[in-house]
Amino acid sequence: MDAHAHEHPNSSPPVAGLLAQFASPEALRAAAAAVRAAGWTRWDVHSPFPIHGIDRAMGLRPSPLPWLVLGAAVVGVVLALAMQLWMNGIDYPLIISGKPLLSLPTSVPIMFELGVLLAAIAAFVGAIALGGLPLYGHPVFFSSRFSRASTDGFFIFLAADDQRFEPISAQALLRSAGAVSVETLQVDEASGRVPGGLYWILATAVVLALLPPVLVTWYRTGPKSNPRIHLIQDMDFQEKYRPQSASPLFADGRATRPTVPETIPQGRLQADEHLYTGKVAEQWVTTFPMQPTAAMMERGRERYGIFCTTCHGLVGEGGVSGITSARAVKRREPNWVLPLSLHTQSVREQPVGQLFHTITHGVRTMPALGAQIPAEDRWAIVLYVRALQRSQNATLDDVPEPIRSQLRPVSP
Amino acid sequence: MSNTTGAEKQTLLPATTAGAAAALLVVGLAGMACAAALEYGRGDQWRYFLHSYLVNFCFFTSLSLGALFFVLLQHVARAGWSVTVRRLAELLAANVVVMLVLFVPLAASVLAGQGTLYPWAAPHTAAADHAIEQKQAYLNPTFFVVRSVGYLVVWWLTARYLLRLSLRQDESHDAALTLSMERFSPLALILLVVTLTFASFDWLMSLWPHWWSTIFGVYYLAGAAVGFVALLIIFTVLLERAGPLTDQVTAEHYHDLGKLLLAGVAFWGYVAFSQYLLIWYANIPEETAWYQPRHGGPWGWMSLGLLAGHLALPLVGLLSRWPKRNRLSLTFWAVWLLVMHWIDLYWSVMPAYDPHQPPWALSDAFCLVGMGGVYLGALIWRCRGRSLVPLGDPRRQEALDFENY
Amino acid sequence: MTTLALMHDDNTANDPQRRAPLVIGPQTDETVTDSVCRVTEEVRTPRAWFVALVVSAALTAVFFGTIGYLITTGIGVLGNNRPVMWAFPIVNFVFWIGIGHAGTLISAILFLFRQQWRTAINRSAEAMTIFAVICALIFPGIHMGRIWVAYWMAPYPNQMALWPNFRSPLMWDVFAVNTYFLVSAMFWYLGMIPDLATLRDRATSRLRHSIYGLLALGWNGSARQWQVYERAYLLLAALATPLVVSVHSVVSTDFAVAQLPGWHTTIFPPYFVAGAIFSGFAMVVTLMVPARAYFGLKHLVTLRHLDNVNKIMLATSCIVAYSYAIELFIAWYSGHSHERFVHLNRAFGPYAWTYWLMVACNVLLPQLFWLKRCRTTPWIMFLIALAVNVGMWLERFVIIVVSLSRDYLPANWAMYYPTLIDVLMLLGSFGLFFTLFLLFCRYLPMVAIWEVKHVLPREEVNHGRTRA
Repeated sequence: MDAHAHEHPNSSPPVAGLLAQFASPEALRAAAAAVRAAGWTRWDVHSPFPIHGIDRAMGLRPSPLPWLVLGAAVVGVVLALAMQLWMNGIDYPLIISGKPLLSLPTSVPIMFELGVLLAAIAAFVGAIALGGLPLYGHPVFFSSRFSRASTDGFFIFLAADDQRFEPISAQALLRSAGAVSVETLQVDEASGRVPGGLYWILATAVVLALLPPVLVTWYRTGPKSNPRIHLIQDMDFQEKYRPQSASPLFADGRATRPTVPETIPQGRLQADEHLYTGKVAEQWVTTFPMQPTAAMMERGRERYGIFCTTCHGLVGEGGVSGITSARAVKRREPNWVLPLSLHTQSVREQPVGQLFHTITHGVRTMPALGAQIPAEDRWAIVLYVRALQRSQNATLDDVPEPIRSQLRPVSP
Repeated sequence: MSNTTGAEKQTLLPATTAGAAAALLVVGLAGMACAAALEYGRGDQWRYFLHSYLVNFCFFTSLSLGALFFVLLQHVARAGWSVTVRRLAELLAANVVVMLVLFVPLAASVLAGQGTLYPWAAPHTAAADHAIEQKQAYLNPTFFVVRSVGYLVVWWLTARYLLRLSLRQDESHDAALTLSMERFSPLALILLVVTLTFASFDWLMSLWPHWWSTIFGVYYLAGAAVGFVALLIIFTVLLERAGPLTDQVTAEHYHDLGKLLLAGVAFWGYVAFSQYLLIWYANIPEETAWYQPRHGGPWGWMSLGLLAGHLALPLVGLLSRWPKRNRLSLTFWAVWLLVMHWIDLYWSVMPAYDPHQPPWALSDAFCLVGMGGVYLGALIWRCRGRSLVPLGDPRRQEALDFENY
Repeated sequence: MTTLALMHDDNTANDPQRRAPLVIGPQTDETVTDSVCRVTEEVRTPRAWFVALVVSAALTAVFFGTIGYLITTGIGVLGNNRPVMWAFPIVNFVFWIGIGHAGTLISAILFLFRQQWRTAINRSAEAMTIFAVICALIFPGIHMGRIWVAYWMAPYPNQMALWPNFRSPLMWDVFAVNTYFLVSAMFWYLGMIPDLATLRDRATSRLRHSIYGLLALGWNGSARQWQVYERAYLLLAALATPLVVSVHSVVSTDFAVAQLPGWHTTIFPPYFVAGAIFSGFAMVVTLMVPARAYFGLKHLVTLRHLDNVNKIMLATSCIVAYSYAIELFIAWYSGHSHERFVHLNRAFGPYAWTYWLMVACNVLLPQLFWLKRCRTTPWIMFLIALAVNVGMWLERFVIIVVSLSRDYLPANWAMYYPTLIDVLMLLGSFGLFFTLFLLFCRYLPMVAIWEVKHVLPREEVNHGRTRA
């Protein structure tokens, strides 16, 4: 094998390097020390398992991997802490199960996990990248003998691009270091080139992988004659009758059953037209169905605070004074309509019956709240709204005489 | 394999140490006397003294327990690397017999039925408190003393047995003795962990008779392990300089002991955090009662100090390879953690005396020096004339050859 | 001749003066490589393996079939109902995560403890870990109902401007289990690269050469590669060790931060970790006892390895027993009537049989491992390991279902019964697990070849490396 190398030292194809095999790890270590002592730089040792002390024999510098891993761990820990504090404590502060907003003990598990995760990724990627992997081709792979390197072969490879490379002396060096055999490896033009078919396979795979999302996006945007692909079911289709649908079960073919004639469901009797509709004889009422009291006003203030302030604000001026509205505006929600002020002329002129009706059934974008608020409470809210309206359009006459002296003039 | 000749004489303590042992004993007794004298003037029926005494009692007991745990673990794992430092642990473990004597004041206080240390020990407290009354079958003075003495005797006998076999092996070099110890150790380990758990319940947890935590025994064990490894490192460094361990330990031993110290610190942190997180999160009043005094004010600062000093700083400090192989830096961390382990126990006990702030007093120092003097004096006395390395252990050569990579 | 063979077969004797060999017979680098690679290179499909694969694949089909049924129909197909809202799926989740703890324990913790016997079993245990974690990850996902919005658990900016609630232990779980899966997978694959290169170099067909070549990433065993590789392996082990402890601790906080008696107790984190290791090692024995015999690896995965595994099972069994005992004692000691009731209910309530079966499987039976004969006889340890698998599954059932079925409000008490779907899903998850494991056995190196070579008796390389 080595005699063959001697015959054509300078003929093409050019020489990639010399590959020498050794009998044992111990011999390999000694040889590595010898090659290092000869001052070589472009060379390496190949073995089926790590040989301790070989890095020292070769003069390899310690790998920077630990620092990389430590850095990644610190980044992970800091990132996790910042993420949790910012998301749960600052950006969307919400008290949950009595835990503080900036809650350190509960942040510890994820800080730990993320630190470990990033550190492990750094170790993994670092091991592959610093090890020069993935490596498509290498001259040693063209030696038939080298397939033993992953079983029980111990090799030294001297690369031809080392400044000291000179076939004869290099051979001699390896021989004197105890090589069992030395082989000259030629540069193979085909080596290191990825076969073209692989690119085609990869490209096809990418295209195929992209197809489903593209199709889904195409079907979900723009008008189509067919129903859209309903990817996320969210219990939208259930085995039940929707309102006004047909059913063969009943003679009239309707799934929705009418109430039994001459009956009213329990607790649904709403005989008092004034109290429940805010109208009498199709006309808005202008009086309350009950006698307004201080307790009713207080109830109205409380209910208003619960149901109305999020949109209309504490004083009812609408716009961005309610927190929902303020948030929507801050987030530039495109479909958000600003709630009306309750102090405009038109609202102030509405009879109380109409205000009651608006709360009950909603108007324009305002939702109907009749189902959530009992009628008596709705009237209480109307009473409080009236009070608010008066407060915003008050004159000096509205202020009781004894406390007028406490008023301070407001600069315009 | 057994080229042990010539090493035999060098592994003994120098003859001058007998005087040192006696001096330490005298200093110890004097310290205790001073502490008692100082506390006599306080006139609180020894209440402060007993609390301070309990801190130190648990501290020195934990060192012996950590040693016993270590010895048993080495036998269970059939470890080779640790052979040359195992004798120190065996001697430390056997020294637990001193604690049997030092338990007398605690026993006396509990039997006196005043409840000066443990509230449940006073009959009137128990009668007035339904929760304590329910536990009377367990928490009563007689049973408490019987149990405590039982634990101490079990530990002493276990340690004594192991030390004896090991000493006998010094002479005979008989490998069968190693097998005996290895057969004995698993059961003894189980016995140790169970007794240690109940000891921690009795001595520390029952200071708050309403409070409970299932992990408490593991917490005390973790602290004991840290304290013991720290002490072992200090002893090894000193004895390597002084002679008995020269040529018996290498940088590899320090490296491994450093790893154990690091592991102990991490384990302590894990256990302490588990206990805190679960109680803090569930926020059940009868459980949070234990953390309440430690959560704010001066005790809160001490809690944070423990978090930093007993966990964060040593974890970072011991992470790399070189601080574990360098004797100086390793000794620094060992001393540091020994102090932290003492503070941990102080932090566990003293809020029972004063829930508002650490009640430091001069007698604390005297009590520590006193008990430390007695403990160390007895230890040195115990070491006299005995090889500080198990010369006959068949795996001694393995320990000397070992190399971390 | 037979006596000689017998002597060679037994490396379990304990001689303090000499560490026992970790391989049986005169083994060289070549014979080790051969015996491991032969399993994947056998051209004829092994019959028993094929039958097992078909059965497992059928069960896997059942698994995915029931999952499809559950997704299209709704979680009403499970037996979960008030008050037992966490039942089979979470029991299975904790069970599988527990199984998944042995692999990393063997690879990482035993590596740090320099237990060289790990080398013959770490690869298959790691594979087992990854497959178990895959099974585990499926259960909480499908149990939540709308699996298609599982991505809501990720903290990404969304139009609702909402973030996950990081103060919930369930979110910790998401991070812990996924981290564990990724780290285990990286550790496994990294460890396999040199062995994949061995398979590549031995490949006779172009297809095998291409596939293993692709997977081996061009590994050529150079010292520069080995240097950074070993460093990374050590670092991953050092990272995986606290990770493996953290994962089951986080799983335990799913229960322990609650105020439910039977769930809330401070020993849960270490107790869960010990239980996980216990069950994981039982699964290692369950898999390795048949595998080493069937694939002819008895000389590499020796009785000494199994002996050691069984000792660890015994130790963790004792830790689990300790936790049971301390929980019982503290339940009494606390004087808390609900705490006391929970334990009485476990032992004497309507589910008492699960409790006593659990105690028998987890505490009593493993005590047989005190006897060396039981630790070194394959069929005995196989049966005990099976019992432990059952027992550890029951432990989670007792903790989760039995505690929930009778909580603070007697008016709210109810029995839980699994549906057929529940049972099929549990069986199906075993199908998935065994399918993946069988494929692994046949197509990937089952034993870490380079690591075993590392510990072969080899006089002239490091003296310290021939120890058990």
